[in-house]
Amino acid sequence: MFKNFLKKPIGFKLSALWLFAVLFITVTYDLFPFAQWDAISDFSQGDGPFKVPGHILGTSYDGMDMFTATMHGARMSTFVAVVSVIIGGGIGSGLGIAAAYYRGTFDKVMSSIFNMILAIPNLVMSLALISVLANGNSNEPASDFRRVLVLTISLTIVIIPILGRIARSSTLQWSSREFVLASKSIGTKNLEIIRRHIIPNVAPAILAIGFFAVGVVMIAEGSLSILGIGVPGGASWGSLLAIGRANLEYSPHEVYIPVACIGFTVISTNYFGDYIRANLDKRESKI
Amino acid sequence: MSKVLEVTDLSITFDTPRGNLRAVNDATITLDQGESIGVVGESGSGKTVLSRAIMGLLPGTATRTGSIKYMGKEISNLPEKELRELWGTGMAMIFQDPMTTLNPVRRIGAQLTESLTVRLKLSKKEAHEQAIELLRRVRIADPEGMMRKFPYQLSGGMRQRIMIAIAVSCKPELLFADEPTTALDVTVQAQVLELLSELRKEFNMAMILVTHDLGVVAGHTDKIAVMYAGDVVEMAPTRELFKNMKMPYTEALLKSIPRLETPTGTRLPVIEGRLPDPTKNEPGCPFANRCPYVADKCRAEKPPLKDTGTGHLYRCWFPIGGEK
Repeated sequence: MFKNFLKKPIGFKLSALWLFAVLFITVTYDLFPFAQWDAISDFSQGDGPFKVPGHILGTSYDGMDMFTATMHGARMSTFVAVVSVIIGGGIGSGLGIAAAYYRGTFDKVMSSIFNMILAIPNLVMSLALISVLANGNSNEPASDFRRVLVLTISLTIVIIPILGRIARSSTLQWSSREFVLASKSIGTKNLEIIRRHIIPNVAPAILAIGFFAVGVVMIAEGSLSILGIGVPGGASWGSLLAIGRANLEYSPHEVYIPVACIGFTVISTNYFGDYIRANLDKRESKI
Repeated sequence: MSKVLEVTDLSITFDTPRGNLRAVNDATITLDQGESIGVVGESGSGKTVLSRAIMGLLPGTATRTGSIKYMGKEISNLPEKELRELWGTGMAMIFQDPMTTLNPVRRIGAQLTESLTVRLKLSKKEAHEQAIELLRRVRIADPEGMMRKFPYQLSGGMRQRIMIAIAVSCKPELLFADEPTTALDVTVQAQVLELLSELRKEFNMAMILVTHDLGVVAGHTDKIAVMYAGDVVEMAPTRELFKNMKMPYTEALLKSIPRLETPTGTRLPVIEGRLPDPTKNEPGCPFANRCPYVADKCRAEKPPLKDTGTGHLYRCWFPIGGEK
């Protein structure tokens, strides 16, 4: 396993290491003796990285430790992206596979729904959903939890048709193969055929696009934060970026750091998606 | 002897953008237990459609009329759910191209035990043992090792043996073999056919062997149905057919098999012309335009299926060797 890893191209190694690091910090954040992530320092405000002892990545204009905030931000960004892709991908693939396998009216209805959702620009739709479902009023703003929940749901809705269409087209291609007919001819039930013959063949394509989708969602979350309706209060990378934007002149690293984190993550997920797809093409040319 | 299959006046039409395509016209076939029939015809004559229609595996664009009785029970109008009960345990099919009928991402063992666990409800361990036994039956060396292999590691002949093992795994009464040797090497063809005949006798299965090669059916079937443009044009016990051929089309098919005795450089006889357009319903015998013995009557009127009284049926106005 490890020897195999060493043989992979450098891009693969870097992407894998970065994604592993992000996932690791997401899962283990609570185990580290970090200080309260949004605590304000009395001694250092807006200092750049490596300038003040105790603040490796410097501090924000308000005096927040950037290292701790970034680690903490990783958690929320990853959580929103991964959860919405897993749930959206699950629902989307299920619907897409069923539509392509059973065809008929169900397929037509599902395809139209997918196309309808895809026709709405995803930022506009998230904006609309969040402003309707998590608006609160000026006296009593909606709770942070509710906003994150609605944000995740709206991104899930964006993901469903993307992966749904991939699953549908891939299933169309596989379900007309002879081995499906052969399996049918020995009396295997449709659900069993889907489980045994369709899903194993469709899964790699969905996985490849799933990685891309994580990147897409992460950028969408950042964009929504900048528009002021994403995760509130600097709790995610996008949110840190939104706060830092105001202080760009005085403490530019407040913007660079979250941007770099989002950038690296998106590049890594894209690389992974590409890598899986390239291997998939190779495999398909063999069979 | 009980009848396994009785097909009466089966017609199949496909709804296509160019109009209704008649793939099979009024086919009538009966099959006793353990009996085998060869369905022969050139590409596009409707032989594959016929076998898939009997089994109920046609796509939704096809319409079927006529009656199909399996073990005396009408099955042509059963919903798929009830047909599925028959598939595998009652009727099973071997497909033409073993390169595409195995799932490329699953091990042979998983695919072979599928029918055993799903249909016969065997436990995993029992299914495994049964699968090994089946592999031994189809003469695979090292069955244990085979269970762990992926399809791409096998040759075409091996894969077809696996497909045969899967098809007979639930001991069906009726086995459809849809051009089982067409995609295989000549050297392997004979072995696979021999294996099929052997298994058929062992399990007392009835078999429908679909092929375009008269040579294939000659040694392995009890009777032969020759199809042309969706019609069954001649049907007779194998021996009788070869001895006493009535249809010019059957004769032409037999002539177009290459022979070793002919001197080098001899042109291979072919049947000139093409099948008539199946979307048009033209009068006359569909073979008229390609028939060497064609007469005016052939172009005007379609001949009915005549019975010589000895189980030999043919569809021709001027059969070879006269009316009787």
